[in-house]
Amino acid sequence: MAPPPSVSRPGTRLSRRLKATFWFFIPFVALAVVWIITVEMTGVAMRTFPQLNDVRDAIGDLWSTGDLFTHVGSSLRRVMIGAILAVITAVPFGILLGSNRWAAAFFSPLLRFSVALAGIAWIPLATLWLGYGERAVIFIVWNAMFFAITYNAMLGVQRIPTELWRAARSLGTPRWRMFGEVFLPGALPNVVTGLRVGLGYGWRGLVAAEVVATSSGLGYSIFQAQQFYRTDVIVAMMVIIGVLWLITDRALLAPLERRTVERWGMKAVTA
Amino acid sequence: MMLDAKVRRAQRRQVWAHRLGRNRLFRTLGPFVPVVLLWWIVAEAEVFPSAFFVGPDVVLSEFGELIRKGILPSYLSDSLIRLRNGVLFGLLIGIPAGFVVAMSYWARKLTWPLLMFFQAIADIAWLPIVIVWFGHSLTAVTFVIVYTIVFPLMISIVSGVEQVPRDLVRAARSLGASRFRVFTDVIAPGALPAVATGIRTGLGYGWRALIAAEIIIGASGIGFMMFDARRAGDVTHVFVGMIVLGVLWYALDALILAPFERSTIQRWGMVRTAEVAR
Amino acid sequence: MSTLEITNLHKEFVDVYTGETVTAVGDVSFGIEQGEFVSILGPSGCGKTTVLNIVAGFDTQTSGTVHVDGRAVDGPSPERGVVFQSFALFPWKTVLGNVIFGLRMRGVPRRERDVIAQQYLQLVGLEGFERKFPHELSGGMQQRLGVARVLANEPAVMLMDEPFASVDAQTRRKLQEELTGIFETKRPTVFFVTHDVDEAVFLADRVVVLSARPSRVSEIVTVPLERPRQWRAALDSAEFRHTVTYLTDLLAGDEPGVPADVDRA
Repeated sequence: MAPPPSVSRPGTRLSRRLKATFWFFIPFVALAVVWIITVEMTGVAMRTFPQLNDVRDAIGDLWSTGDLFTHVGSSLRRVMIGAILAVITAVPFGILLGSNRWAAAFFSPLLRFSVALAGIAWIPLATLWLGYGERAVIFIVWNAMFFAITYNAMLGVQRIPTELWRAARSLGTPRWRMFGEVFLPGALPNVVTGLRVGLGYGWRGLVAAEVVATSSGLGYSIFQAQQFYRTDVIVAMMVIIGVLWLITDRALLAPLERRTVERWGMKAVTA
Repeated sequence: MMLDAKVRRAQRRQVWAHRLGRNRLFRTLGPFVPVVLLWWIVAEAEVFPSAFFVGPDVVLSEFGELIRKGILPSYLSDSLIRLRNGVLFGLLIGIPAGFVVAMSYWARKLTWPLLMFFQAIADIAWLPIVIVWFGHSLTAVTFVIVYTIVFPLMISIVSGVEQVPRDLVRAARSLGASRFRVFTDVIAPGALPAVATGIRTGLGYGWRALIAAEIIIGASGIGFMMFDARRAGDVTHVFVGMIVLGVLWYALDALILAPFERSTIQRWGMVRTAEVAR
Repeated sequence: MSTLEITNLHKEFVDVYTGETVTAVGDVSFGIEQGEFVSILGPSGCGKTTVLNIVAGFDTQTSGTVHVDGRAVDGPSPERGVVFQSFALFPWKTVLGNVIFGLRMRGVPRRERDVIAQQYLQLVGLEGFERKFPHELSGGMQQRLGVARVLANEPAVMLMDEPFASVDAQTRRKLQEELTGIFETKRPTVFFVTHDVDEAVFLADRVVVLSARPSRVSEIVTVPLERPRQWRAALDSAEFRHTVTYLTDLLAGDEPGVPADVDRA
């Protein structure tokens, strides 16, 4: 006899979950198999490309020596400081620009120019101004994110329907409270987009800046490995960089979106 | 009447301001005038030491000098050729691959998680292994640019195909279009705005990858020029490089990207799904 | 003295593309008494929304005056609450958050405003939905929330800009009946813009008819219907049908007929 539907439903949900997980991992397993077989058959040297278990050993070594945590830790710290500074400075600035038509018209072309340059192109100047070291790297991360967030926050405010402005004003909102009550929540979908784009740039800027300007961090260590043709370490680092980004996206940006933009039924602008 | 004349004057002013505001050249270049002026004043007043900060006059004369010596033109063309090769191969690979993944159930199922993962490995992180493979060569730079373009492009195309209204496909089918014709006449044009968005995202990253690659492994190119100048402590060349890069991107945007987007999106009155600054 | 007094209102604007001056509102004068429901009826594009926007303080007139309780209108103010056609609810605030918005802006203490909010949510039949977000409500419920949000602020006059134009026909009838019910219990002063003759007559004490652009007041018609009102009874009553027919003719006489430049399109 078939079980009653109320009992079967959680079961099917669980099995659907399992199935989704299964299908998520299958491509990675397939990739791993192709990798092992290809390296085995071509007999390519470690100097050119590592075997899968070499990479695993490299990660194990990095883990047990603690190098992994030093490098990941210093990179994450730099990204975090840069990102927080960028959010604190760019969101108010972008909203201010968006709430004034003339300011927006004036700054739009300047911002587009700056977005194109943001991040990596500033490395020579940043290291010249701030010297090699921590400050230059954080400056690059901040710089890479600042313009993308500012521009998107500005767009976000401009996209708030006129009726919402008017409703708030005719319900007695003083001008200075419009910022927190209307502009900030109204621009949030675009601010999140800006944050995502900006973090993408910031992350890349970080890796590049670490190569040039410091002696720790993921960017530094991956290029250090290149000097010694340690492809196992290089690939291990690449995997770590990818996983870190996925964690940032899933653990930080996605929940932020779920809790605000999606909850409010505002269309999330995805890049 | 006095009041009336005042009102009319205000109205005329409004019309004039609007015409000026609609002038593209004025709107885009106008804001740079006060910024350059400010820059000049700050430099002239020597707020910062001249080893760190030079004025527009110095940059301009150095710019002329670099052109006369032929350094800037040759570096610029090196950078542009790298970008062009990377973009060309990126499009050749990314567009067909994107449509295959978007249209085929199995291709999608088998590659989507991988796409997400490879997208997550920042392109710059590929530089070391690429150097190991190809040395400090043009191929290495091209490879990285291709990589940065292919993934955002594929992901954009998949979401673009998804956004083609199902009713359009049904309408075409019920009007007698074959599956192949549905693809060529409905899905491909419908996904074109997404292709445009993808190219813009990809170029945004590819551009940065180019600069990074030139800074890190370059022997020529604008990025190399800037970093070489930095090592020599020559701030003027760094300024020249940044301005050239900014102008270059602006030109690329105004002459190639924006017209392409306009021709696909605005002409068909399609709503842009993701208008994002990059 | 009337609660709302509009005198010789005139509005011109410049078409920024052609540079021509366009008259949106020709010459409009009328008043609304305390606790009166007045519909402003006119063909589409006649400038009735412009009049509302000027009264709300979103737009400024070229000449003429608007007074509310004897004070000249100067910018948006909570004494002139607006119910919008597009609802204009804050998507990031819950139902409760939307209702108490105006009270919060005025600095009403939390305990007090929760009591007021409950009262108005009950009035529009939204009790139990406090924690929902606007997008989780139906169109009809969203507009009821729009009404509650304005009334909770106790404005001198409630401005309504074709508030039921974007809900389906059945819901519209229901909302209209509910609005008369609310009006009959609370007696707010209402300025109601619409192009629907039935709606204008059913809801209002008086109907101000505007002519096509540039708009003037062509007539002010008093509606001879008893309150409380209901659709079933209204449709049966001869007075209702007469008023509707009269107004329909009035509007039809004002239609420009076949435009002269019809083949230019």
